[in-house]
Parts: sequence; C-alpha cells; structure tokens
Amino acid sequence: MDVLDVLKHTSPELFLPDLKATRKHAALEEMVEGLVAGTPITNRETLLQMLTARENLGSTAVGPGVAFPHGRTLAVQKLHILIARSRAGVDFEAEDGSLTRLFFMLIAPPQDSGHQYIKSLAILTDKMQDTELRDRLLETPDYDSFCAALMEG
Amino acid sequence: MNPQLQVLVALQDLEQMIKDAEDQEKAHQLEEMGFNLGGLDGLKKAKEDLEAKLDPRHRNYYRRLKQRFGHAVVPVIGNLCMGCFSNIPSSFTSVTHENKILHCENCGRILYWP
Repeated sequence: MDVLDVLKHTSPELFLPDLKATRKHAALEEMVEGLVAGTPITNRETLLQMLTARENLGSTAVGPGVAFPHGRTLAVQKLHILIARSRAGVDFEAEDGSLTRLFFMLIAPPQDSGHQYIKSLAILTDKMQDTELRDRLLETPDYDSFCAALMEG
Repeated sequence: MNPQLQVLVALQDLEQMIKDAEDQEKAHQLEEMGFNLGGLDGLKKAKEDLEAKLDPRHRNYYRRLKQRFGHAVVPVIGNLCMGCFSNIPSSFTSVTHENKILHCENCGRILYWP
C-alpha cells in the first residue's frame, strides 16, 4: 500500500483548505460537517462522539503542526479520509503546546478489511515526519496540487 | 434516530476503542506512530456513563447479544443484516418504524442503518 492507495479514500469534496475554527472541539465539528457534506454519512452526532472519545484517550496531534483525528464507527460503511488546513492554527492540545495547522481525519467502519485504515494512518504519520513536505502542503493552492505534493514527497 | 439506539451505537464504538487500546499489538502499532493512549481510564468512565443512559431492558439485551455474538449492533447494508446476512424486510424501513429499535428476525441483533 502506498500514498496513491491512501488518496483513493479522499476526494476534492473532503478537502477543507482553511478551517474557521481555532479551538479543538469546534475544529472537530467543522471537519465532521465537511465529512457529512462530502459523503453519504448522515450521523454527525455519532461521529463527533467517537472522535471526542478518541481525543480523550490521547490527543491525535502527534507531530509539530499536524494531527490525525481518527477512529472506527458503525456510522460509516467504508474508510473516508478528510484533509483540512488552518492558516491561523488550532489549539489541538499537542503535547509540545504547538498549534496544529494540518489535519488528516480518518474514519473507518468497525471491520477494517485489508487493514486499510491502520495502514493509511501509518503511511500518513510517516510522511508527515518530513518538515519540508508539511510546509509545502500548507502552501498548495488546491486539492490537486496538495495530492501531487503528497505523492512527490 | 431513536435516542436509545444512538446510545447503543456510541457504546459499541467506545467499547471497540477500549478493546483496541487494551490490545497490546494494536496499541504498540499506534504508539510507534507517535500516539499517546494514556486516557484509557477516562474512556472506561465514559463507557459507564453511556451505559447508565440506557433503559435496563436495552442494556441487558445488549449485554446478552454481545456475550453471544461479540457485537450486539450491526449495520444493515443493501437490505442485509451484516451480522447473519439474512434479508431484512423492506417494511422495517417504513415511517412507522422510524423511531424504533429493530432486531434482526433471524439472529436477534440490533439493527442500525448507517
């Protein structure tokens, strides 16, 4: 599995170029709204409950400036990946106290056929170790160039 | 959606999350990626709070199903119960059943339309 396989689970409709929210819960809500708007998913309450619980287990802001809110839920039938950015930065309770500007939200059904969910998470967290790539992704003008940069990196 | 069904779905999702966090191999995989899983006690407390919101009959039935099958709530996809793959009558999706908790007539699992 590679980045191209990961990108099959996202789409231009699941790309939020600049979040309005600057606080954690509001940012999660805005991303869930983006997910609902761009997919057949309807149960925003269950999604938000699951994501909030996951954040209570431990913040998913694991790299300087990047977070990976994720989880499995009955509310979805397949893996969806939403990408979001924030120019202002969101206080996502990162351990180092830094603001988060780049988000990859992964939502999967309870059965993870082919381990796509966990493999996608592993590929993205690994890619985001690259500081230069993270900076490029924050500057790309649109979804297509974002994906191109991610594949090149 | 029926509010009790909403709680049942959230409870099952939460139990799955706790199970994954307690699974050494899965937890190790996530920790290798940089995730901190230190809030497990908080999740268990959240699980107790959710269970307290259930009517006793739903709570007891959920536990029996979970003991029997591993999962009590299953999605309906393409008119099939994804627990036992038997056909779900189309009448189940009628307006009269909209706010009810429905069970598969074959296996008894709680049905959820995602």
